[in-house]
Amino acid sequence: MSFRPDLLPALLALAIASFVCRAGGFWLMRFVTVTPRLKAALAAAPLAVMIGIVAPAAVRGDWPEWLGLGVIAVVMRTTRNDLIAALAGVVTVALGRAVMRMA
Amino acid sequence: MQEVPSLPDSPPQAGGARFTTAGFRRGYTHAQPMAVGVFAYAVTFGLLASDAGLSVLEAMFMSALVYSGSAQVATVATVTSGAAIVAGAVTVLMLNARYVLYGAALRPWLGQASTREAYCSLYFLGDGNWILSMKAHADGEGDAAYVLGSGVAMFLPWVGGTLIGALAGGWMGNLKLLALDFLLTAFCAAMAVGLYKSRADLWPALSALAVALLANAIAPSGWTIVIAGLTGAAVAYWRHEEEVAA
Repeated sequence: MSFRPDLLPALLALAIASFVCRAGGFWLMRFVTVTPRLKAALAAAPLAVMIGIVAPAAVRGDWPEWLGLGVIAVVMRTTRNDLIAALAGVVTVALGRAVMRMA
Repeated sequence: MQEVPSLPDSPPQAGGARFTTAGFRRGYTHAQPMAVGVFAYAVTFGLLASDAGLSVLEAMFMSALVYSGSAQVATVATVTSGAAIVAGAVTVLMLNARYVLYGAALRPWLGQASTREAYCSLYFLGDGNWILSMKAHADGEGDAAYVLGSGVAMFLPWVGGTLIGALAGGWMGNLKLLALDFLLTAFCAAMAVGLYKSRADLWPALSALAVALLANAIAPSGWTIVIAGLTGAAVAYWRHEEEVAA
């Protein structure tokens, strides 16, 4: 069990950002009313962020990764379970890479 | 814990602020089925953190401090590299932006508790315990400690699952062979598919995709995520009235 103290600044910055979100809305409700527009913008942020993570990885990847993303979309649509979908995608990529190594 | 003086304009049926052990227990018990799923997810995060180079203790610290699946998955590389701390923090802000809404929605109920009780409860706020709490409150639950109880019920398996996953990752060694380096992308893709709920999400999503590809082609960095998130939010804000009119 080790802990590198030099990781603390990054960890604390992320922790503070996380708590600001949790406490922020509760606190802000003393002063602001959340308009439907603002609500729509806040609600859209997570999906857009996920796309910002996946898109560069898809560009970097090869056909096993693309196939994996397709499998994830299908499994997620059918099961509605992100754990199962993600694991199905990982298995697909692992198999795809094994095929690539053989070829 | 202090008694909170009831406000003159507070509804009489609320009976002041209730924040009791019994309410905590109800929340904790009702959250147990969801806690199983949280544990499984946390084991996966532990594997991922181990693959990214975090020690078992560091992974647990991250889970206890940041306490957000998607945000931890997205920023685990930031912690190990020590670079792009600001971009990482902004990513967390945007991934957890929904909590701003959750907290706002809890204000009428949780606002009856003392400030300390309220902010302590908010530290453990998550998707599952928020949905559970809002539903319970609508069904007549008046004890605000329910929010804290259901939150802690999710938090414990999250940190415990991280421990198991990080230990397993250390024993397994090279995760590249198992394609676990793809796990982060896989999770984000799955969550993106799950987050796509209706046609209202189409334009924010497409504009985020276009901007992400563009930013990545010009200068790949942690900021790609931030730029994509802000673009999606801005487009949703801008298009809101059209969506309502449609």
